Amino acid sequence: MLFQTATPDTSGYMIAGFTISFLVMGLYVASLYLRSRNLQRDREMLEEMDTAQRKL
Amino acid sequence: MRSKPLMLTILDVLSILVLGISTYLALFFAPTERVMGEVQRVFYFHIGTAWTALMGFILAAVFSIAYLVTKNLKWDRYQVAAIEVSLVFFFLTIVLGSIWARPAWNTWWTWDPRLTTAAVTELIYIAYFMLRQGIDDPERRARFGAVYALIGGLSAPVTFFAIRLFRTIHPVVIGGSNAEAQGGFAMTADMRVAFFFALFAFTIIFIDLYWNRIRLGELQDQVEQLKLKVTM
Amino acid sequence: MTEQRPASQPAPGSFLKAVSAVVWKDLQAEFRSRELFSAMLVFSLLIILIFNFALELDIKTRQSVTSGVLWATFAFAGTLGLNRSMAIEKDRGCMDGLLLAPVDRSAIYFGKVISNLAFMLVVEIIVLPVYSVLYGINLFQPGLLFVILLGSIGYAGVGTLLSAMSVQTRTRDILLPILLFPVVIPVILSAVKASGGYLEGLPFDEILSPLSLLIAYDIIFIAVAFMVFDNVVEE
Repeated sequence: MLFQTATPDTSGYMIAGFTISFLVMGLYVASLYLRSRNLQRDREMLEEMDTAQRKL
Repeated sequence: MRSKPLMLTILDVLSILVLGISTYLALFFAPTERVMGEVQRVFYFHIGTAWTALMGFILAAVFSIAYLVTKNLKWDRYQVAAIEVSLVFFFLTIVLGSIWARPAWNTWWTWDPRLTTAAVTELIYIAYFMLRQGIDDPERRARFGAVYALIGGLSAPVTFFAIRLFRTIHPVVIGGSNAEAQGGFAMTADMRVAFFFALFAFTIIFIDLYWNRIRLGELQDQVEQLKLKVTM
Repeated sequence: MTEQRPASQPAPGSFLKAVSAVVWKDLQAEFRSRELFSAMLVFSLLIILIFNFALELDIKTRQSVTSGVLWATFAFAGTLGLNRSMAIEKDRGCMDGLLLAPVDRSAIYFGKVISNLAFMLVVEIIVLPVYSVLYGINLFQPGLLFVILLGSIGYAGVGTLLSAMSVQTRTRDILLPILLFPVVIPVILSAVKASGGYLEGLPFDEILSPLSLLIAYDIIFIAVAFMVFDNVVEE
């Protein structure tokens, strides 16, 4: 009878892989969002400063 | 700056959707591979990110030429966005490749052409950002970035061929009679579905992130301009 | 006796003149101070020393790692030379002077490549006998020398372009190896392979492959660098 090796249980690695994938993508999206929010705040503040300067 | 275009919001939603579908296909729809077991499922994301990141880097080299010829700063913005997103995706490619390699070949890293070139390419584009960080003048930053992205983009494939010619171990994934011996595998029809959908899904996700990143770049430019205006 | 010619249009034959002017200037300056040369040389010898302690070099292993150790040495010492060469240009304001002259910018590029190459070759020529003596391996084989020449050409070609950029950034010296090494890997890889082939006495058709890649790299990248160099030294 032909002896066939059983399929190894590598699901641990699979879970790690998918977890890391979502983590990295999630972190990047978060990074984009945070940077965007900070820049928008900066822009508002600078626009205020600009209009204040022009009034002088 | 214009408020977020509807198209982009739709793309955002679409991206999450296709990511979900792709995950389902990879985790449940595709059959379990016989030799490697469950870990093979990361392959779909591995290829998805690899393919799109590669396209991103090629695009970046094209943008280099576009900028150097036209000197229009918009090409620089497009390039930075492309390289940043590609950097993230390629990082995933490398990590997933490593996770796949561990149970398949009992090693976390193999110095085979694809993985090594991926690492070198990643380093090139990290260097790209380090170069840009050391320059304050936006015009010079764009010029130097373009030059380096061009040189880097040309050298990556050369590196790949060099390693392939002079060293040898990556699985020949699609078909191949000796596939299992090399840790590769033949794909069944269901696997092919998951495979092609993953390519499609990651392309959508890439475009979505890319577009968002470009908008971030525009915002950055606006803030920089305002800073100059206010401090004058 | 001045010719009527628009300042932007260089005289024919002036390209070669410009190149040789740049090379001559660098060589003369270096001959007088020997600043670059001594630094590169000492650094190379120290690297070889470190390798001696870092790697267990029994006679068998020595043979196989020699080409690798040599090229690692050349790569690191080369960075030193490239950095200093460009820094000197910038600090002394020579670059501005060169740029004001009605010369094709690429003449400056070729001039710098040739002088940087010359510095590298001189150092290599001295390192080879030292290594030969220290490790009892004859390194003066024509094949090996040819590979060293080709590899240095590629290295200097790309290195000159990148050092022209890195010297203008805030991070300067540190940036050059970061920029250069990933991009110059095909050179290192092919050069080590070809050098090793010659040292082991492999048949030529086995060495042909890395050798051709080396030549191809040199041609492609020097051509590209030549075309984009303008963008790197504009004011």
